[in-house]
Amino acid sequence: MVIRWGRSDDRRAEFEEVALVHLDALYRFALRLTHNRAEAQDLVQETCLRAFRSFHRFDRGSNCRAWLFTILRHAFFNRLRRAGRETPDGDPVAWESALESVTSEARAAVDPEEEFFQTVLHGDVDRALKTLPLPFREAVILVDLEGLTYKEAGEALGCPIGTVMSRLWRGRRLLRQALGRYAREHGYLGGRE
Amino acid sequence: MTCQELHAHLPAYVDGELGVVETLGAGAHLAECPRCHLLAEGERRFRELLRRQPRETAPAELRARILVRCRQEAQRAAIRPWVAPVLATAAAAVLIAVFAVGQPGFHSTPLAGDLVAQHIAYAQIERPAEYATADRADLEAWLRQRAGLQAPVPDYSAAGIRLVGARIAGIRGRKAAYVLYEKGHTLLSVFMLPAPDDAELAGPRVSYRGQEYFAQERKGYRTVWWTDGPAVFGLVSMLDYDALFECADRLREERARQSRL
Repeated sequence: MVIRWGRSDDRRAEFEEVALVHLDALYRFALRLTHNRAEAQDLVQETCLRAFRSFHRFDRGSNCRAWLFTILRHAFFNRLRRAGRETPDGDPVAWESALESVTSEARAAVDPEEEFFQTVLHGDVDRALKTLPLPFREAVILVDLEGLTYKEAGEALGCPIGTVMSRLWRGRRLLRQALGRYAREHGYLGGRE
Repeated sequence: MTCQELHAHLPAYVDGELGVVETLGAGAHLAECPRCHLLAEGERRFRELLRRQPRETAPAELRARILVRCRQEAQRAAIRPWVAPVLATAAAAVLIAVFAVGQPGFHSTPLAGDLVAQHIAYAQIERPAEYATADRADLEAWLRQRAGLQAPVPDYSAAGIRLVGARIAGIRGRKAAYVLYEKGHTLLSVFMLPAPDDAELAGPRVSYRGQEYFAQERKGYRTVWWTDGPAVFGLVSMLDYDALFECADRLREERARQSRL
């Protein structure tokens, strides 16, 4: 039996070219999941090593960025589980119902005339993002902040496009409400309370 | 499209993720409904706000650390395929090699024992090639410069045997060119050195395509060697004899081609 076994230098060069170009995006995603620089670096390193080890199984025709995000999420969820915390991939049904309570808030229509967009301060978005439940946060990060298509985000999150869409919708609502609150705190929006 | 339908489709609409029919439907509704139009504008501007967020980059130090770890990982992965089948028999094979060299009169061949010992030793090293390249001309040039050896490096790729690189080895006190190939996980060692005296060379004779060779097998390691002018060539591998003789034949051809140049 002949097993194809590329030279390690070739594999490393290809990995650098195909996968490590997404290092910045991975780092930002990790940072927004963990809120901690050291932990984010650790998580990205673990992700890259896992990806490198299974790089021979990666289908060259498929989306590398989505594949890397998937690995990073699983590594992150493993850490959460080890810390005894809930993860969205554990019991999706339970998560969805838990999210319902949060999203009743999101169902309230946003005021289309809100004018805080120009006044959002540096760091406000990340601060608001932290208040979002994980499934919404992930969807917003991947699509709105990293520019993934719905299809790519669905691959990365392991869910159908319809789910990406609904999480994104609710995530954006919650985010917008939080940013509106900050704008009022900053004093840019007044007289609405 | 009604207002309610539009609201359901709004995020996908501003993201450009709706199908053609829905996009046209949404566009038509927005043209007529000022309130939905305002809503869509708000949605679009919010999306732009998010896309405008500064993008932090990963620390250079993180990138460097990952590259180092990948390199270490690759080296570990490289040693495994060769070591796994070899380790079980390595101890026994080394004993035979030492025995063959150390005892005059032992019917095994001193040279073959040395070649097998070298083969086993380097099959267990993380990076067996001192100079790693898959480029034959590059490797021939390196052997010429490093050891002053005009060593042929034949192309075995048609048989799925890939060139790994080479090193300079010492065999029976002589400087030898040692070229490494691999087929799948199996290492093929090719040695070329100045011919020692006949006693060291002797072994069971085999004829293949009209050429005379010496050949022996010990514990799964097959060795084929022959003299060609002032040089002796030796092949060691766990590949079968068919493959080894075919490689030997190609090597002779390559050697003849080289000397014609």
